[in-house]
Amino acid sequence: MATSTVTRSQGPGRPDRPGPLGRLGRLARPGGAAGRTPPPAVRVRRQLVTSPWLFAAPGLLITAVFILYPFVSTVINSFTDRRTLLPGHYVGLANFRELLHDDMFWIGLRNSTVYVLGVVPALVILPLLLALLVQRNIPGITFFRSAFYTPVVASVVVVGLIWVWLLDERGLVNSLLEAVGVGKVGFLSDQWLLLFSAMTVTVWKGLGYYMIIYLAALANVPRELHEAAAVDGAGAVRRFLTVTVPAVRSTMVLVAALSSVAAFKVFSEVYLMAGPNGGPAGEDTTLVMLVQRTGTGLSGRVGYASALSLVVFVVAVVLMLLVLRADRREES
Amino acid sequence: MPLSRRALATAAVIAVVLPLSACGSGDDTGGSSDASGKVEGDITFQTWNLRANFKSYFEGVIAGFEKKYPDAHVKWVDQPAENYADKISADAAGGTLPDVVNVSPDLVAPLAKAGLALDLDKSASKYKKEYLPGAWASHQIPGVKGTYAFPWYLNTGPLFYNKALFEKAGLSPDQPPKTYDDLFADALKISDRTDGKVATLANVPTIEDFGRYGVPLMNKEGTGFTFNDAKGVELLTKYKELYKVKALDPQALTATPESSGRKFLTEAVAMNPGSALDLGNFKKQAPHLYKNIGITDQITSTGHVNMYVMGVMVNSRTKHTPAAVAFAHYVTDAEHQMSFAKKVAIFPSTAGSLEDPYFTKEDGTDETRVRVAAAKSLKTAVNYTPVLFSDQMKTELGNSVARALQGKQSPQEALDAAVKACDRLLQQQG
Repeated sequence: MATSTVTRSQGPGRPDRPGPLGRLGRLARPGGAAGRTPPPAVRVRRQLVTSPWLFAAPGLLITAVFILYPFVSTVINSFTDRRTLLPGHYVGLANFRELLHDDMFWIGLRNSTVYVLGVVPALVILPLLLALLVQRNIPGITFFRSAFYTPVVASVVVVGLIWVWLLDERGLVNSLLEAVGVGKVGFLSDQWLLLFSAMTVTVWKGLGYYMIIYLAALANVPRELHEAAAVDGAGAVRRFLTVTVPAVRSTMVLVAALSSVAAFKVFSEVYLMAGPNGGPAGEDTTLVMLVQRTGTGLSGRVGYASALSLVVFVVAVVLMLLVLRADRREES
Repeated sequence: MPLSRRALATAAVIAVVLPLSACGSGDDTGGSSDASGKVEGDITFQTWNLRANFKSYFEGVIAGFEKKYPDAHVKWVDQPAENYADKISADAAGGTLPDVVNVSPDLVAPLAKAGLALDLDKSASKYKKEYLPGAWASHQIPGVKGTYAFPWYLNTGPLFYNKALFEKAGLSPDQPPKTYDDLFADALKISDRTDGKVATLANVPTIEDFGRYGVPLMNKEGTGFTFNDAKGVELLTKYKELYKVKALDPQALTATPESSGRKFLTEAVAMNPGSALDLGNFKKQAPHLYKNIGITDQITSTGHVNMYVMGVMVNSRTKHTPAAVAFAHYVTDAEHQMSFAKKVAIFPSTAGSLEDPYFTKEDGTDETRVRVAAAKSLKTAVNYTPVLFSDQMKTELGNSVARALQGKQSPQEALDAAVKACDRLLQQQG
């Protein structure tokens, strides 16, 4: 291909005009520095090898600096007693041994696990139902689609603060509950209600995001399948269970995987609602909150926080593999 | 010339490694501790949430300094109040700590231990006599020789109370509690007479409360905490009683200073500590509260209120030690502290300044009455917060207090656990 281009550029009537690979064409002329320069075919091959790397270089560089280096650094730090301002010494597995005896680590692991168990089923099922609802092309539906998506683009801090005001002892929700005779509920003072309130915010904020993913999947479900099922006498629920769910099953697995990893790493919602101490006596602390609390500040224990981070990473990866494995087993 | 694969790989490695070499905890090069040379060079000065209200004041101070020392130039940066410690630690770890930094004693302790704060006993001892002895000592760290920041402004912080809520509970709005015993008695009355609808406080006791109650916080050597003694247990037991009858807000266990402030603003609680800046906020956001606002001294059973000390630290790695020391002294000298005190309700830490008629003579207004009373109480005030009490220790104490208030542990068990955890953290600090 390169040769034909060279030939064309040297065609009659256009002796000096370089083609798309004009520089290469000039070098290919007899009498050039052919003795020291490799033949054109070799140079083209080299360029074909190097060019993709040059294009990828900015991305690779960013990945190396902001992902690879911090990750490697975290692994190394987890075996040291490094502090924010003091370089650490190698301590072997001491940090990992310590976290096994750290009550707060087990509280964090428990809360992060409860969070996954509470949030993931809701984020797999509710957005699907919402997507079915807004999938129909009826006048004004675009407004509802946008409305459901709004929490996704809203700042988590703003959303968290609004929910704190709503659920406060003197907030709107408690005022309504008091008005109907239920009495005040300690959404922001009870350990479990606090965690449940934070889960509600996570689900509410995530609905729109996963709804969009489901909408894309639902658009690919052939209408004929629904029609055939309807002809066979299947009702709406039956059609949902036997046509819709199998058709979007792989999307459901994707949503489960994404939401379980995100739920396990939850920080902002719990931090905003339960406070920096992680609820009463720190009982609502999640693992990532513990990493933040342990590793930051002027006296931060960077080594220990790194060991905690590694545990979070390993559990998140295992969680994702479990979801994918369950899907594969079901498929086979 | 086309790049060979090896050349490309080398370039990539260099490109990755070079920026990374800037990471880490900074190098040991840079600063000298000798502050006697010519005052020159570009320095950076960092304040803690002061730009919004005092921009013109600091611009004037900097202009004055640059006029006095034409070869020196000061760049002023200001950081928000939240996460200030995180910002400093990131800068310190990255080797980008400004030359002159606004700090508090608990912030300066880890910086001094890491060798990042200039020892003023060596570099600026000639200025020592200009400051109150107690204020100069406030930036000394147990176990580390030296003084690591110029003392700046002092404050006791007023305690606000809602006169209308006091009246509603049948208490005299002009006789707020002074000691912890008064506070507990009044809080129980308010709770009882409002059926638990009005709480007196929105936050759980902090280390300063233990100090003001007369609990010994640390041993004399500064090597261990002692707030789990009988007096500490007594204080926590009384708070537990308040929590049980809702004299303490039900959300107190998860409260932050901001959330407590909001509770006071919405008149859900009767008392809240604050600063002089809060008055403007009350006026704007809660006119009804502002109409009924009462201002009193901090609650104390020792006769000594808590003193908050601000300092100005010089980065030991500064390239312009004479300029940085000169500027830190310039900002904190008697003249500038006095002019700053006239802008906002703070008090100078320079010797003799508190004897100025501005702090001793009343003109009949509430403002001067509060100022004169605060200046008087400052003379015997104590900085109760142990310099070595880190954020992690505050969390440990907060969690233990919460466990005691919830009844999950007895006050004695909770405080024993807190002392054990804080001692462990203290040892880990080295």
